[in-house]
Amino acid sequence: MEGKVPGTAAHRGCPQDGTVASTEISRRQRCHNQVMDRTGPSARTPAPLGTRGRLTILAQLAVPARVAAAIAGAVVAAGALAVAEGPGRATTYAGSSTAGAALTLSAGVGLIAAGLVISLSRRPGRTGDLALLAGFCWFAPVWMAWQDGPPLVPGAAMVAAGFTFPLIVHLVLTCSTGRADSKPARLLAAVVYAEALLAAVALALFRNPYFDPGCLANCNVNIFLIHSLPSLARTVQIGDRWFTAAAAATLTVVCAARLVRASAPARQRLLPVHVPAIGFAAAVIARAAALQQTTVEDPFNPSLFTIFAIGSAAVILLAAGLISGVARARAERRAVARIAASLEEAPAPGTLQSALAAALRDPALQIAYWLPSTQRYADATGQAVPEPPAGPGRMVTRLTRSGRTIAVISHSGAVPRIEAQIGPAIRLGVENERLQAELLAQLEELRASRARIVETADTERRGLERNLHDGAQQRLLALSYDIRLACAAARAHGDTPAETALAQATADVQGVLGELRDLAHGIYPAVLAEAGIGPALATLADTAPLPVEILRVEDRRYPAPVEAAAYFAVVEALGDTARRGADHAAVTVGQEGGRLVVTIQHNGTGGAASMVAAADRIGALGGSLFSRDTTCRAEIPCGS
Amino acid sequence: MRVVVAEDVMLTREGITRLLTDAGVDVAAEAGDAASLLRAVRTTQPDVAIIDIRMPPTHTDEGLVAAQQIRAEHPTVGVLILSQYIEPHYAMRLLDEHPERTGYLLKERVFDVTNLIDALRRLADGETVVDPTIVTRLFARKRRPDPLGQLTGREREVLALVAEGLSNRAIAARLFVTERTVEAHVNQIFQKLSLSIGPGSHRRVLAVLAYLRQPG
Repeated sequence: MEGKVPGTAAHRGCPQDGTVASTEISRRQRCHNQVMDRTGPSARTPAPLGTRGRLTILAQLAVPARVAAAIAGAVVAAGALAVAEGPGRATTYAGSSTAGAALTLSAGVGLIAAGLVISLSRRPGRTGDLALLAGFCWFAPVWMAWQDGPPLVPGAAMVAAGFTFPLIVHLVLTCSTGRADSKPARLLAAVVYAEALLAAVALALFRNPYFDPGCLANCNVNIFLIHSLPSLARTVQIGDRWFTAAAAATLTVVCAARLVRASAPARQRLLPVHVPAIGFAAAVIARAAALQQTTVEDPFNPSLFTIFAIGSAAVILLAAGLISGVARARAERRAVARIAASLEEAPAPGTLQSALAAALRDPALQIAYWLPSTQRYADATGQAVPEPPAGPGRMVTRLTRSGRTIAVISHSGAVPRIEAQIGPAIRLGVENERLQAELLAQLEELRASRARIVETADTERRGLERNLHDGAQQRLLALSYDIRLACAAARAHGDTPAETALAQATADVQGVLGELRDLAHGIYPAVLAEAGIGPALATLADTAPLPVEILRVEDRRYPAPVEAAAYFAVVEALGDTARRGADHAAVTVGQEGGRLVVTIQHNGTGGAASMVAAADRIGALGGSLFSRDTTCRAEIPCGS
Repeated sequence: MRVVVAEDVMLTREGITRLLTDAGVDVAAEAGDAASLLRAVRTTQPDVAIIDIRMPPTHTDEGLVAAQQIRAEHPTVGVLILSQYIEPHYAMRLLDEHPERTGYLLKERVFDVTNLIDALRRLADGETVVDPTIVTRLFARKRRPDPLGQLTGREREVLALVAEGLSNRAIAARLFVTERTVEAHVNQIFQKLSLSIGPGSHRRVLAVLAYLRQPG
């Protein structure tokens, strides 16, 4: 009934599909599109959050239906108690002793109560209905012993009793997500229903209780009987018993596998239902084995009664587990809702993820924000992250807002339909964090781009310096050599004018070489690349237009862009210092934490220049530069 | 005198070789990279190896590294680094480990054959050679206060020659004075500048260069 509520049914398929392998892109995409399409209406009718907002007509009808179910449950249970005290008392566990009555009543009422609680909590799926039905059927064996009632009642009870087991199996299989969540689980449920139906029909039509040696209760009349086939009935009974035992064993395996495969938070949620389920299955198997020894299921047989007691206790625990699961989900919903309240205080990036992780008790919960501008996912700080993959114990849920994906949440899958719990306020918070992440990512991209531009420029500068060194300078050297040879030849021939001219040419070439060398050094000092900031600054001080003290410089290497930024900052600062009439400057270079700190102090006057080139370089590396009065300080991130 | 020439630019290498050959120097081998240079030095045991600072494969400081290796392995072989950089750092790095028989000259200077032959001779005699351009630049460095101001003109001349790596005897010959006079000047200079290294030591070149580069 719940499933037909618009906006909830639409989402149900997706968390399931989210668990498919990441290679099934087309399927995932299809699911994604479905979510996008289906969230349209819910966006137009706001307040899909919480429980109240989703109360449509259908859901409102559910309440009277549940009230009716509760009343029916009370009648069935009370009636069963009365029947157990009646003439057929020796044929039922409930009638055999006070303990038997208490166990029967507790288990049945527990199932009915769990069914009501689940239904009223508006959890998706059939789990609530299944628990209700299982509770009713639980009392069927007692009603079979109503000897002085209308014959239809024991007959119907006989048929209903056969469905207790399939209903409990189905109930256990659906309890975590509201559906049987895997192929084996769905197959198991289908097969046990089919077998129960077959057995019930066969026994109803062909079992004459009068000829049944194992008959204990309602042994006179079978209202549905059309033809008595005692041997067939006997075969069906034995076959049914052993089939049920086999199905119980399969249920045990499925439950154990689920517990093993689940993530820690998910296992926490599975334990309260799955452990009693395994106990119940064990009791079913034990009962089959015990009935192999005896023809009649005598409630006064101590071992049979013990098996019954264990099975009943397991069902009681199972019902309690179901109710505690609802309570837990409710607490989580409230915790998630509280996040919305805390969002008003402009939280720091990543707050939402930790708050959700805490609320859902899933420390590994991860939110990846979708950045449409770059078509990728990022965390709250804007760092690119891969799309969280669905895997064993991890589930991926898409969060949409106004039809757009804003984030995907990777979680343990223990909380069913997480996206329904995350209401508009939190969605707004997620959208805010997404925008913030996008901004941070863009800033980071911008910074990286600036760094690349500076790095490219530096690479070109170094290339230029090398080209000058290996090209023009070498050729000028060769030229100066040739001129010297010519000069020597002129001298040998006594050609004084030519010798004078060539000597002058030699001097000119030397001058050009000197200028070229200075130019190359200014473009990018080779010593900076080869020996680092210390030697480069020492040479800078050698040729500075004012006395420069290198007070402190650490004798270690930093990444080339960092060294270049520090060096050219000093170059620019010294130029500014000289312009402002300083007669000395002092330079320090040292590492403070993860930053290379460069200071230039001087006694110049007048306002400091803006030092645009150095500021650009340093800014590109995420550092800062300020220049005020007689101090210039640069801080450059340098890794470790 | 026997030398080995290591220079990866063929034009320059051949120029140097021809200059030396014309001046009567025996060029025992030529090399284009550090590995063949080391082989040539091992087999020919020259008086001096002339080495370009930038050589393959990375064209950074292969020449410098090879020079240090030669000085370490062959104490009798002098090395003369040719460079286009006026970088005291390189010269000092070389002198730091092996102060004797090592030299650092600007490339353009070697085409003046008298300069080249003079440098080779000094290296063969166990002296040190530092390019005068480097010394000139260090002398021109702005200081506050300038301790070199307390030196007389002649003392500054002597200090510059010390920094270029000349021995007292060579300085005496250069300045046409007696060796004793040079010694007196050197003592006076070292006292004025509070330089503690002994005036006769081979380490004095490095000490003077370091002094000239010190802050202030």
